[in-house]
Amino acid sequence: MKYLGIDSVRPRIAVFELTGCEGCELQLANKEETLAAFLDAVEVVNFREISSSSSDDYDIAFVDGAVSRADEVERLEVIREHAKVLVALGSCACFGGVSRLKNAFDLNEANREVYGDRPQETLPVRAVSEVVAVDLEIPGCPVSKDEVERIVQHLIWDVPYHFPAYPVCLECKQRYTVCTYEVGLLCLGPITRAGCNAPCPAGGLGCWGCRGPAVEANAEEFLTTVHERGFTNDEIAERMSFFGGFEGLLP
Amino acid sequence: MSTFNNAYDVSREAEMKEPLDFNRRSRLKHVDRVFKAEILNIIHLTEMEKLYQIRLLDPAERARFSFLPGQFVMLEVPGYGEIPISISSSPAKNGYLELCIRRAGVVTGALHRAQRGAKVGVRGPFGSHFPMEEMKNHNLLLVAGGLGLAPLRAPIFEVIDHRPDYGDVNILYGTREPAQLLFDYQYEEWGRIDDIDLRIIVEKPDPGWTGPTGMITELIGDLEIDPRRTFAIVCGPPVMFKSVCRHLVEIGVSMRRIFVSLERRMHCGMGKCCRCNVGSTFTCMDGPVFDYWAVMNLKEAI
Amino acid sequence: MLFRILSRDRFRTLVETIMETTEVVAPKKVGVRSDGEPIHQFLPVADFDEMDLAHETTEHSAKTYFLPYRENLSTYAFSDDDWQQEVHYRIQPRAMVGLHACDINALLRLDKVFVRDHFPSPYYVSRRRNTLIIGIDHEPCEGGFCRSLGTDTVTRGFDLYLTDLGDRYFVAVGSDHGFDLLNQVGVAEISDRDTADYLEERKRIAGLFTTEVAVQNLPNLLDIEFESEVWKTWGAKCLGCGSCAMVCPTCYCYGTTERVSMDFSSGSKEKHLYACTVVDFAEVAGGHNFRPDRSTRLKYRYYHQHRGFVEAHDEPKCVGCNRCGRACLTGINPLDVIHDLQAEDEA
Repeated sequence: MKYLGIDSVRPRIAVFELTGCEGCELQLANKEETLAAFLDAVEVVNFREISSSSSDDYDIAFVDGAVSRADEVERLEVIREHAKVLVALGSCACFGGVSRLKNAFDLNEANREVYGDRPQETLPVRAVSEVVAVDLEIPGCPVSKDEVERIVQHLIWDVPYHFPAYPVCLECKQRYTVCTYEVGLLCLGPITRAGCNAPCPAGGLGCWGCRGPAVEANAEEFLTTVHERGFTNDEIAERMSFFGGFEGLLP
Repeated sequence: MSTFNNAYDVSREAEMKEPLDFNRRSRLKHVDRVFKAEILNIIHLTEMEKLYQIRLLDPAERARFSFLPGQFVMLEVPGYGEIPISISSSPAKNGYLELCIRRAGVVTGALHRAQRGAKVGVRGPFGSHFPMEEMKNHNLLLVAGGLGLAPLRAPIFEVIDHRPDYGDVNILYGTREPAQLLFDYQYEEWGRIDDIDLRIIVEKPDPGWTGPTGMITELIGDLEIDPRRTFAIVCGPPVMFKSVCRHLVEIGVSMRRIFVSLERRMHCGMGKCCRCNVGSTFTCMDGPVFDYWAVMNLKEAI
Repeated sequence: MLFRILSRDRFRTLVETIMETTEVVAPKKVGVRSDGEPIHQFLPVADFDEMDLAHETTEHSAKTYFLPYRENLSTYAFSDDDWQQEVHYRIQPRAMVGLHACDINALLRLDKVFVRDHFPSPYYVSRRRNTLIIGIDHEPCEGGFCRSLGTDTVTRGFDLYLTDLGDRYFVAVGSDHGFDLLNQVGVAEISDRDTADYLEERKRIAGLFTTEVAVQNLPNLLDIEFESEVWKTWGAKCLGCGSCAMVCPTCYCYGTTERVSMDFSSGSKEKHLYACTVVDFAEVAGGHNFRPDRSTRLKYRYYHQHRGFVEAHDEPKCVGCNRCGRACLTGINPLDVIHDLQAEDEA
């Protein structure tokens, strides 16, 4: 492909999974209508969901999942050394995700609860950026393929990528979704970063904050208004802890 | 059935079929259609800035394209986006445009990578202009700081193209460092024209610098300005144009005779998107050229 | 203005006639609030009975049918290191039934910007001209201050405007299209009794207004109170979510984004409505934000509504529907904000 007189280069990409469900990786192999073009635009050198080949020579590394073991820390450090660009893929990689809930408990107790009398080696859960430097983050549980494509396009062609700064509410309003608070339910939409097109409130669930906080989220006023609506600190904190993105803003 | 069911096709309106001309405000037109243009030459100015000489591809569009000094165009790089850029060329050159572009974001980044021959889109011209007619038979003080020389270049060319219409012309230009000076290959020419005086100053000289050192206001102090016979154009960062304008007002130049060009992030150029709004004012329509009195009345920090 | 009398049955026939060929958008009940109150939205309806013209108000305005939240401005086809641009305008006819006076007045304000200003928008003109508008009178909605802004009545900008007289509608005919439609289903000339009943009904509605805002001095007041603490107090409450601008019938600011296909064979320039209360509204390339704090952003929203627009178009942009007030989770609403500004001025 040539544009503006410039030949585009196919970056070599690799995908790695740490602690998580690998759902975000599956998303990469999703969206059949553009999958062929996607695989044309990049050269996949390491991605076990779609290919058995593996190589350490890559430009862009996508890392899915949180860091919860010592061997993952080591792997991640190696990946960081090889990759020109390291992208944290999904809420687990960006914030620690659901498994970060473990950090609220005693580590041994958590280990016993999950593995019984066959305990595994484990560490408190960390986001990728808490271990190595991250160039780009794509939050979401799971990530949207659309957003991944735009990030990849941005990395190949340097086309603009707009990571919305505003909260989910704006997208709910654009979808004509009845506000979750109108029907008396809790929703993190007012403080969560948009870009998902607000499927959860539209489905009646309210927002669970998988994309983490919006830029300059007004958590203080948010807490005041949800308290006025009768929600307790426990309910709110539980919701805000779910994906691990709101540490420091909890009530 | 009711006539209402006959769909109305706006494209069939007579005005929509006329050649696209953004100078004809208040007429229906394809407001988001671009003039296709080609990058003819890319001139390296500094590490951060390049000058793009472009021409509209269609000869009729090229001949019809006209603008007044101070106006800007929206420059479109399809797939990347659109940015407002003030026109740096002589109005006499119509659809052969010169645009000075600093590398700052994705669109300007793409332009800095682009090669000669690349196709871009142009909408415009938009915005207000320097009142060149009113300025005739007066002395002109043209002051630029940093990138401010880009919007000042069109009025400089206009004056050169109509030299007998204007009195004495003083051009003052200042940057932080000598390496940031734009259009240095033209100083020689401008300075040698009769009754055009060009003075340049830098804040931080390098070993090779032989000119004066300091803030641009220091150059003004050296000039003899007849406040009743002088118009001024001041282009540059807010700190710079505010201090220059204040100085000029102090020595008696009317606020209505001092003009500045404000830079804001226009997205549409047509007073619609509100992104360049400063209080009640749309920089893209009421500006980018304002007289200093209008600037004083803008509520928002500039 | 011509007036006619339309029976309820014939009104049904009229709407059903339109539905045979044209999409009809009308207030539709979409849910129930936790306090038991119904929630309405302007949505496409397939059947006359899906409409609910007894709606107090709709959560969103009718704006999106004229200024969609997302709209394609142009598309690009890329090949051989070159591109071709294509521009299309939506021309499918549509009818909107059940707009209130404030909704139609809001369209008249948008007309000033998108039809009658320096650069008319063919995108808007096309949608506006292809939309038949049937409005209807209603009792004041809670918190609505349209009467203070003179937008509780409307004399143009519609094809038909109905006032419910119980057994029949008193109809103001605003266009030849409306006139043709009425003649198709059959209407009666107005009698003295119809006129008397209509005036009586208008008087009754006017008497029901309790909400009032003094807006006459607002342009200067906004200048005088530019540094007021009022903005800090209300600004601290702003979530920066843009809900107010999304539901507002006259907020029209936008941004554009460009996208390319994964194989770079095509691209599009898309317009998306934005909000001046959103954090990066005034951010420029290079990262500088001209409005870095919440209170400044909120202030400028009011500034545009009640000062900037007045300067440009001789009337406020706001039509007093209070949709922004109802949509705001933290309770920022024009009644209280303006009241506080005035209190500050008097203090």
